[in-house]
Amino acid sequence: MNDSTIVSDSVKRFKWVGTRPIRPDGVPKVTGRAMYGADLKLPGMLYGKILRSPHAHARIKSIDTSAAEALPGVKAVMTSADLPQQKFDYIGPERVAVNFWHVTRNILAREKALYEGHAIAAVAAISSSIADEAASLIKVEYEVLPHVIDVDEAMAPDAPLLFEDMITRGIEPAPTKPSNISKRLEFVIGDVEAGFKTADVVIEKEFKTAAVHQAYIEPHACVAKYEPDGQCEIWSSSQGHFQMRALTAQIIGAKLGDLRVTPAEIGGGFGGKTVTYLEPVAATLSKKAGAPVRLQMTREDVFRASGPTSGASMWVKIGVKKDGTIVAADGIFKFQAGAFPGSPVMNGCLCAYAPYEIANQRAVGYDVISNRPKAAAYRAPGSPISAFAVESVIDMCAKAIGMDPLELRHKNACHIGTPTLAGPKHAHAGYAETLEALMSHPAYKVKLGPNQGRGVASGYWFNGGGESSATLQINADGTVLVATGSPDIGGSRASMAIMAAETLGVDYNTVRAIVADTASVGYTHVTGGSRVTFATGTAVVNASKTVVKELCKRAALIWGVDEEGVIWDDGYAKPAGSNVGEFTPLSLAQIAAKAAATGGPITASNGVNAGGQAPGFASQFCDVEVDPETGKVTILRFVAAQDVGRAIHPAYVEGQIQGGVVQGIGWALNEEYIYNAKGLLDNPGFLDYRCPVASDLPMIDAIMVEVPNPTHPYGAKGVGEVGICPPMAAIANAIEMATGKRMTELPMSPPRLLAALSE
Amino acid sequence: MAKIVFTSGFARRYTNGVREFEVEAKNLRGVLKAMDELYPGLGEHLEEETTVAINGEYHETGYFQPVPPGAEVFFIPRIEGG
Repeated sequence: MNDSTIVSDSVKRFKWVGTRPIRPDGVPKVTGRAMYGADLKLPGMLYGKILRSPHAHARIKSIDTSAAEALPGVKAVMTSADLPQQKFDYIGPERVAVNFWHVTRNILAREKALYEGHAIAAVAAISSSIADEAASLIKVEYEVLPHVIDVDEAMAPDAPLLFEDMITRGIEPAPTKPSNISKRLEFVIGDVEAGFKTADVVIEKEFKTAAVHQAYIEPHACVAKYEPDGQCEIWSSSQGHFQMRALTAQIIGAKLGDLRVTPAEIGGGFGGKTVTYLEPVAATLSKKAGAPVRLQMTREDVFRASGPTSGASMWVKIGVKKDGTIVAADGIFKFQAGAFPGSPVMNGCLCAYAPYEIANQRAVGYDVISNRPKAAAYRAPGSPISAFAVESVIDMCAKAIGMDPLELRHKNACHIGTPTLAGPKHAHAGYAETLEALMSHPAYKVKLGPNQGRGVASGYWFNGGGESSATLQINADGTVLVATGSPDIGGSRASMAIMAAETLGVDYNTVRAIVADTASVGYTHVTGGSRVTFATGTAVVNASKTVVKELCKRAALIWGVDEEGVIWDDGYAKPAGSNVGEFTPLSLAQIAAKAAATGGPITASNGVNAGGQAPGFASQFCDVEVDPETGKVTILRFVAAQDVGRAIHPAYVEGQIQGGVVQGIGWALNEEYIYNAKGLLDNPGFLDYRCPVASDLPMIDAIMVEVPNPTHPYGAKGVGEVGICPPMAAIANAIEMATGKRMTELPMSPPRLLAALSE
Repeated sequence: MAKIVFTSGFARRYTNGVREFEVEAKNLRGVLKAMDELYPGLGEHLEEETTVAINGEYHETGYFQPVPPGAEVFFIPRIEGG
């Protein structure tokens, strides 16, 4: 059951697009038969174990593996010395700019352990208990160093330095002293100071957000099998097996052609499985041991050593006229990157004001390292963090001038042609429509009770395109195989099958979509950036169109007419006109049955570098009730409107919207990394790291606003990320209405809210 | 002619702070070639480090992207999601 709505025109254009067939991977998943990363067992397989740092910051003086190597049953032991050196080079800016000098040190520490849980050494043994014992026999001599966790403290001039030679980039002239600030960014349009002078009301505020984990259910896991001839197979749960292949090849010094990576089913990723932690280690252990090796993280490992997204410290200032025109916006965004450079601060800056037309804008960002695990992507990385600050201040502006918060946003909503902070003008619409969907929603006018409040917020995400591949095979019985290189996290196999069925004009149930390994389909970039339905979907549609052309050619051969005399209509080859002759239309299955006689297998592949993806806009409102005695916030209602382009499979689009909202509720109310005075994580498990569960939540009312994307064959836009951007501010704004207290630090947990109420 | 724009950080690093250029090109290959002639090596930096927005539409920086007459072409640091 769901409460979702589609806001669209009423014209039915498609047979399969927009329907809700059962997902092809549903039965294996609900019956427990689906193979996840840790489920594969190969003959002779060894069990890997990684020894991790017990310290937040320590120099590694020596590592003695002799006792572990001597333990019976141990087949391989490795440290960073077994991995080749990497060049120190930022290949492009952070997020994509991979500096392998850093990456290899994150996979296995070299000179220093930089956070609790940092991998130090690894073993492979004939049983997991022997592997555990062997890891405990590795002697590491540490010199414990002062640590720093908080982003503001890490920026202080006297902060302990993680890298003694790190000079901040992006400042001219370059600083002469090292610091933990990896990079400074600044984006500006218009004249911000002049803009503020024209404002009737100027509001500024400081905000803090906690680091939160993607909290996928399945811990990282992989199996690697290195053969004596140098060929290596890896089975891995990730958001991109081509990405795992590329990263592993670079880290271990192998050729892409020598690695074959097969995607396991994936139990959630949300961005956190676009990076590698285990694959290079498992491959090296397998090479040394001469046997397959499985490595998997525990839940504690996941919290201590993978992900999370950045926590942040921010300042935002917005000026508005009495009529509601926002005239200027300014902000400083300081993001934790973890122990190595590369937070999503650039995205945070560029998304901060993106839903709005504001003539004068500035965002200054800082990428700051501290003794935490290296930040990884998390659903619209960076955007939810800056949205919390900006959308809170916009709400304060609305209150200050006495305007409805949706109306204020609508008055300033971006449109096609609105300049963005990055420079380009918006090329797609969709934001105002999400606001209008909320303004006309009956629940927006429902009267609230005591201790209750209603909050509004919006969000923006770029969405992604890029390289994707698809291969179609028409089987002799008329069934269709669609192979892509996109790991299926949100139901993409169903969406690919829908788009193929629609283009071919065949029954969805005759199309089987699979995720193929790196040797069986063309290169495909990660499942991330809300890119798969757009980019991989385009490749599927293109390949389907090539198949249609081939089917017409085969039909022409069967009928003995020219190819131009055959058209494809609703799944059948038909004569293009009466002058061609009278022929009974041929179905795909009938033509497939004659494949051998008409030229051999019918198959087509397509590779695209898809561009012109439309961004995602989301607007949401929620009703909350605050218990004044405990500080507990109960979400009474949550309405989420999102511009989805066109929903290929509406059930999975709703799932993405609802999933984003729920993760945002967790980020808002409970989730945080709690470090003790020693810099050690105190809550590395789901008992103490509190994610929302079903009983905490109302049904999320998902409104799919369809403003089709003209650059996708069926109008699809990415839908997976932007839904997580508004909830933190929406809830903070609702709490403010309920209590009169402006919460500026996440999470707004009961103790923190109770303290605020007691002030 | 197309208007080519760099972010200030990129311009500082590679074009002595000059942010805007006018270039005659039918596709991005032509833009990259023209910029590389002005600043040798710049084409490769653009190819490897930027995303491009042509009249507001984001693309990866690929040779094949058409550049319509009068287009605004922004090169900005790459954007990656989760």
